[in-house]
Amino acid sequence: MVDVDEYDDVWVFVEEHAGDVAGVSWELLAEGRELADAIGDDLVAVVIGEGVDGVAEAAVSRGADRALVADDPVFEPYRADPYGEQFRRLVEDRKPSIVLIGGTHTGRDFAGRVAVPAHAGLTADVTELDVDEDGLLQARRPAFGGNVLASIICEEHRPQMATVRPGVFEASEPEPDRSGEVEPVEVVVEESDTVSEVLERETGDTADITDADRIVAAGAGCDGDLEPIEELADALDAELAASRAAVDEGWIDGARQVGQTGKTVRPELYVAVGISGAVQHVEGMDDSEVVVAINSDPNAPIFDHADYGIVADLFEACPTLAEQLRDGEFEPEVIA
Amino acid sequence: MTEPWNVVVCVKQVPDDDEVTIDPDTGRLDRSSAPAVLNRPDRNAIEAALWIRDEVDARVTAVSMGPPTATAVLKEAVAVGCDDAVLLSDRAFGGSDTWPTSLALARAAEELDADVVVCGEETTDSSTGQVPPGIAAHNGWAQLTYVEDLEVDSDDERVIARRDVEGGHERVAADPPVVVAVAYGENEPRPAGLHRKLFAENEFEPPTWSAADLGVEDEVGLAVSPTAVGGMETVDPVERAQAVVDSPGELLAALDEEGVV
Ligand SMILES: Cc1cc2nc3c(=O)[nH]c(=O)nc-3n(C[C@H](O)[C@H](O)[C@H](O)COP(=O)(O)OP(=O)(O)OC[C@H]3O[C@@H](n4cnc5c(N)ncnc54)[C@H](O)[C@@H]3O)c2cc1C
Repeated sequence: MVDVDEYDDVWVFVEEHAGDVAGVSWELLAEGRELADAIGDDLVAVVIGEGVDGVAEAAVSRGADRALVADDPVFEPYRADPYGEQFRRLVEDRKPSIVLIGGTHTGRDFAGRVAVPAHAGLTADVTELDVDEDGLLQARRPAFGGNVLASIICEEHRPQMATVRPGVFEASEPEPDRSGEVEPVEVVVEESDTVSEVLERETGDTADITDADRIVAAGAGCDGDLEPIEELADALDAELAASRAAVDEGWIDGARQVGQTGKTVRPELYVAVGISGAVQHVEGMDDSEVVVAINSDPNAPIFDHADYGIVADLFEACPTLAEQLRDGEFEPEVIA
Repeated sequence: MTEPWNVVVCVKQVPDDDEVTIDPDTGRLDRSSAPAVLNRPDRNAIEAALWIRDEVDARVTAVSMGPPTATAVLKEAVAVGCDDAVLLSDRAFGGSDTWPTSLALARAAEELDADVVVCGEETTDSSTGQVPPGIAAHNGWAQLTYVEDLEVDSDDERVIARRDVEGGHERVAADPPVVVAVAYGENEPRPAGLHRKLFAENEFEPPTWSAADLGVEDEVGLAVSPTAVGGMETVDPVERAQAVVDSPGELLAALDEEGVV
């Protein structure tokens, strides 16, 4: 138990890899700004990496009052042990009240590395945040396949930490003229203390499906043949997304995964193609405005979560849809 | 390698998430009607642990923290090939969040002199994914999460993992002791052999360790858990029209009407 009054400020971990900032970090700065204003605290960005002054300045332009910068080669690329130790020391020395971390694989890897030694409360995979006048954070997260929203609180320990799912908050636009302090901090980790080594890191296109207005998502039903789905996406001018099954098969990049362990999307139109509609998938797409399901199994649960469904073989339905979209003629041709 | 490795695999018994229902009158979750099963991602963890034993000389022990009924998932682990199992069970553990849970598992891993601790990515009942990094953090060990593929470098005595990261992957080497969290669905769990299954069901009883056995009796349970559930709201399912149309043209006409195409 700690004296909770000794702790203040809202911290946001700015996740960057070789200078590229994870979009969720900007989303968290926007949300963190609101929380900080609500309790009259400062918003502090924590930037860890090598050559990251530009990232720190960008964090200020995105709403941070201050950016703490730990700049050292030991932090590139990301590893749990040096990042965790550095962040833990910052938390111990400066006592933040709230710490927000993106619910990416990196963020979820690293959050526990801080929360455990700090004996802090850590809530996973949060989708709603609120704070009362005493600064008590209400971190809400879906539980049991999204059937309930559990509110997690942490009354007697600090900081109050949360990993937050990408795509649930909106990033604010940078204001280049915003002023704030960029403060370098002492680096407390040495390479010789580390217990892991990154041998190679390969990342390609990190598509941001969370911003898309239209999405066509491919599931296991496409059996590795994405062509009809891409054709439909193209005709709709939509982004391609996927269920976890399609990602696990290696057909589609993990950055495009929708769901509990992927991203939350809220497009105007979501077309689920060859996706069964498992709870973990539906959780990530249920905020879409209009949902269409294309599935050959009339009993697939996805139809319960769709506004319009077609019971059809996707290899027939997708090309027909694409063709009619291109023609601009919507023919009531019945497919079996 | 001279000494055989000790591999500990953490498994949990969870309510079958397909069967959890909500009581329409009270709005409360009814978990009692859901059968208790082995957390699905833990099957991948067990497979990874057994794979390590296929590669190097190793002994695999399954560990579960839970009520006495969790013996069932330990028997299942032994049936597929784990050499031994231990149940961490004690009323003192009641109400533990991820902090004390990972502490108890971390102490058990120390007790078993673990070189590698293998976990599933997350549980299907609470889905925090926080326990594997928690075990590593409590013990100050290396961690490898979201692991798609493993290698054991027996010359350097290192574990190398291919990890899934946003937009790609990376290969990371770690010095034992190391905690590995295997990404769900990344391997094909082997079936139980008949003899092993009969042994697990009829002869095997896991020893039970209490909080005091682990020396954590004052550091587990509800009182030391930093987080608490402040409230639960049932989420009204999003109302969907659920209209099944017969043709692409009909669909597109409807979408046109909605103004989304
Ligand atoms: C811890 C955990 C986390 C998870 N996180 C996620 C997540 O973030 N996102 C996610 O999506 N899943 C997630 N899952 C997995 C989830 O439970 C399902 O396994 C997954 O969503 C299934 O993907 P799918 O619908 O593409 O495949 P399947 O369930 O295999 O469904 C394929 C569908 O395609 C249909 N089909 C087959 N052939 C055709 C055809 N020719 N034409 C039309 N339809 C066809 C079938 O009828 C079927 O309905 C998670 C699971 C766990 C345990």
